[in-house]
Amino acid sequence: MTDKPRLTALRLHKALYPIWRNDPGWKGVLTTVNNNTIGTMFILGAAGMFLAGGILAMLIRAQLASPRSAFMGPEVYNQIFTMHGTIMMFLFAIPFFEALTVFLLPAMLGTRDLAFPRLGAYGFWCYMIGATIMIVALLAGVAPDGGWFMYPPLSSSAHSPGINTDIWLLGISFIEISAIGAAVEVVVTVLRYRAVGMTLDRLPIFAWYMLVVAVMILTAFPPMILGSLILELERAFDMPFFQAEHGGDSLLWQHLFWLFGHPEVYIIFLPAAGVISAILPVMARTTLLGYGWVVAAAISLAVLSFGLWVHHMFTTGIPHMGLAFFSAVSTLVAVPTGVQIFAWIGTLWKGRPRMHLPMLWIMGFFVTFVMGGLTGVMVAMVPFDWQAHDTYFVVAHLHYVLIGGYVFPMIAGIYYWLPVLTGRKRFFRMGEVAFWLVMAGFHGTFLLLHWAGLLGMRRRVDSIEAGSGWEGINLLASVSGFVLAIGFGLVVLDVAANALVAVRGRRNPWNAGTLEWATPIPSPAYNVASIPVVDSRYPLHDNPGLPVQIARGEGFLGHPTRNRRETLAVSVSGARPDFIAVMPRNSIVPFAMAVVTSVMFMAPVWKGWWLMFASAGGVAMLAMVWAWAGGSRHDEGLLDAGRGVTLPPHTEISHPPGWWGSLFLLLADAVLFGSLLFGYAFLWTVAPNWPPPAILEPGTGGPALAAGGAVLACGGIRGADQAIRRGRAPWPGLVASLAGLAALGGAAWTVFGGTTHDAHAYDATLWVIAGYAVFHAGVAGLMALFLMARIRAGFISARRCGDARVVRLWIDYAALTAALGLGAAWLPGWLA
Amino acid sequence: MTDILRLSLPLSVWIAAFSAVYGLEGIVCSDHWAAAGLSLGQGRAALLVAWAAAIAVQVVLLAGLRMPRFASSLPGVQRIAAILAAVALVATVWSLLPVAATSLCL
Ligand code: HEM
Ligand SMILES: [Cu+2]
Repeated sequence: MTDKPRLTALRLHKALYPIWRNDPGWKGVLTTVNNNTIGTMFILGAAGMFLAGGILAMLIRAQLASPRSAFMGPEVYNQIFTMHGTIMMFLFAIPFFEALTVFLLPAMLGTRDLAFPRLGAYGFWCYMIGATIMIVALLAGVAPDGGWFMYPPLSSSAHSPGINTDIWLLGISFIEISAIGAAVEVVVTVLRYRAVGMTLDRLPIFAWYMLVVAVMILTAFPPMILGSLILELERAFDMPFFQAEHGGDSLLWQHLFWLFGHPEVYIIFLPAAGVISAILPVMARTTLLGYGWVVAAAISLAVLSFGLWVHHMFTTGIPHMGLAFFSAVSTLVAVPTGVQIFAWIGTLWKGRPRMHLPMLWIMGFFVTFVMGGLTGVMVAMVPFDWQAHDTYFVVAHLHYVLIGGYVFPMIAGIYYWLPVLTGRKRFFRMGEVAFWLVMAGFHGTFLLLHWAGLLGMRRRVDSIEAGSGWEGINLLASVSGFVLAIGFGLVVLDVAANALVAVRGRRNPWNAGTLEWATPIPSPAYNVASIPVVDSRYPLHDNPGLPVQIARGEGFLGHPTRNRRETLAVSVSGARPDFIAVMPRNSIVPFAMAVVTSVMFMAPVWKGWWLMFASAGGVAMLAMVWAWAGGSRHDEGLLDAGRGVTLPPHTEISHPPGWWGSLFLLLADAVLFGSLLFGYAFLWTVAPNWPPPAILEPGTGGPALAAGGAVLACGGIRGADQAIRRGRAPWPGLVASLAGLAALGGAAWTVFGGTTHDAHAYDATLWVIAGYAVFHAGVAGLMALFLMARIRAGFISARRCGDARVVRLWIDYAALTAALGLGAAWLPGWLA
Repeated sequence: MTDILRLSLPLSVWIAAFSAVYGLEGIVCSDHWAAAGLSLGQGRAALLVAWAAAIAVQVVLLAGLRMPRFASSLPGVQRIAAILAAVALVATVWSLLPVAATSLCL
């Protein structure tokens, strides 16, 4: 670089930094909305949870090292293994890849932040608070103890009377907020916030994977959230969803749980595959072989994984044909998995691989994961699974795929992206030693446990008997387990040492082609000084000068004259410039809202219903404060976006980012609603003690209210929307819409009147359906009122009509689901 | 967004059909089926019809996505969409094969 360009770059940095920086000091931690800061804290939090889960694993191995161990009693042991599984799955595995994504995605896509920075902060704080609650519960001895999948009737109040189970159901649901929030963010960011010219078929492969995973989170988590909700309702109010004597069925839980649970294992595996697909080509000094095939494989895996859940229920007495469906899909998923593996092998083949540390971990992945995949196919065979189910064979299988298939690639990723994360280059060399310790420790622990399982060692036993034939294997597993722990400990030490004290590194040490390597390292708060224009999948390979051009502001938005956080949004598939998104400032609201939300979720553990409702009100208030902060009171018209292009700000387009976020949030909501209808149909066809003794009489009032209300609500908001765009008064439409929503709520209320919530699973289900309708009508109503206030305050004009579109979406959704749900509730009465 | 639709439609139709057939099997094997005066043979026939319909839809989707009218303007996306439509067809044939091959309500 000559002096002049360097000066330009420096000047640009000095202009951008004050705009994007965090508040100084400790306050900055609580108010930050920056993806780099949140990503770092998130990574540290998730790594901390990995340590916590690891300590529990060591306690488990200590207990099982010798026969008849008196180290722990069964009550404690049950909490320990339940929390081990829960922490590893919910508090480590998912948050860790989310954290990495939060950090990397904006730079990788060539944009300045994620689509919804405050949502990112809110999700992070929900996670941290929820994780803290779980750990405190563990230390207080009231941790969940029913296994990480919490099957009723064991988890019903009759068999688990304490608060342990409630803590799991409510605490984990609370933590899921962060997963859902992150997923919405990732989807909208990948679809709309990218470098110009980064068309869908030029998306970095990691971004493709994360897009797929995010959609999976939105469609897989809701069934479990619903399951947790209704199990909690059963525990708190005796609504008998899972009690056979009242028309419930404990298998409903298993369906809802595994409808989440199997996709979940791919939600965990696909990010790892994304990391590998990103790193492997760089390590092999080439490009990914079969990009299109890999993308297709990832999407196929994602969808196919939703047709597998029953393979966790092979031993529950489901008819053979049902089992055969799921066995068939279980074999089918091996094909896209194979396609990915062959693409990776082919990439190695065509390149010139270097054995750097990340590569070493990927090799460890290959060996371990293939073995885990093979045992997976074994247990996917129904007759074999009848033998292996609930034994240590499954325990061994799942650790091969989870540790080999997830943890190893994540460690590879951390080492690979360390320069972007910390700005330093690796100096300490404990990593290689750690790797070999982990490999030896891992296989020493788990390989022989397959045999222990085949010899009849059931999972979750709290002690082993002398003379069972498993003692030797277990002793070896325990000793190796400690080696494994030392290995992981060394990895953490090595990363920490390199992150804190190693020397500064230079940009792009691996000579990679994707944009996260174009920023100065560690990547600055604004990620990119200007939004680049790219024309290939590996822009840095084709144009080595790109980093300098970005730094000098030669991309879009390279002249931050408006003194606010701006980034560029592009069209979904062609990546043409579309509008300028104005990002929020630092704010304490996300943190405050996370605190209040945690109260709302935890109050029911102690039956604090008033506290729960009060904090729900608090959340609604804060949500309005949150939403109020955006927007503008005057039309700005087209703004200069650099490179001779003018674009509107996001407030002046018809479908603003908030609309996109709502769309994907409602996708998750719709899956929850669908699961609810599934549960209703499932109980009706399969559960014992149906039909229920008394069926709801629809009458005429309720259905009339519902039909009229739906028409009025949707029609009213449409009228208001049109009025706004033509500059006329929107009040009649909005009032009509509110009246319609009230009518919908009233219609749902008639269901409460006609049924008794704890009489039968049928009644209980109808209550949840009606409650769903009331809740959504209420939320949509609040949003309509909020819109009225915004109009009065001057935030809405014919050009600035996006808010109305968002509200319209929510009202339509509320009306549609209320009509469908209430229709389903009244259907049996109509047919009778 | 239409490109996203191109990529997601065939497999979404597969999962919908798969779930629907699994649900249908549940109904056929429940008491309601017999109560409605229907035999297991008719149940099997219904399942076979559902399977055939699901396959037909996938064939239509596969053919449709290849037509210039519905093709993506991005060649890369077009290729991925074609692969995914083929995957969905294979998945439909294979995953629902048990309706013809295994015992019904055992
Ligand atoms: C992506 C990698 C995979 C992960 C992360 C994974 C994870 C898991 C986990 C966590 C469990 C235990 C669940 C429990 O607590 O009961 C499990 C069980 C099972 N896995 Fe996998 N798995 C993977 C791949 C596979 C594959 C490729 C197959 C088959 C093709 C498979 C088939 C099964 C079956 C049938 C069970 C249930 C066994 C039983 O409980 O009897 N898995 N897996
Ligand atoms: Cu599974």
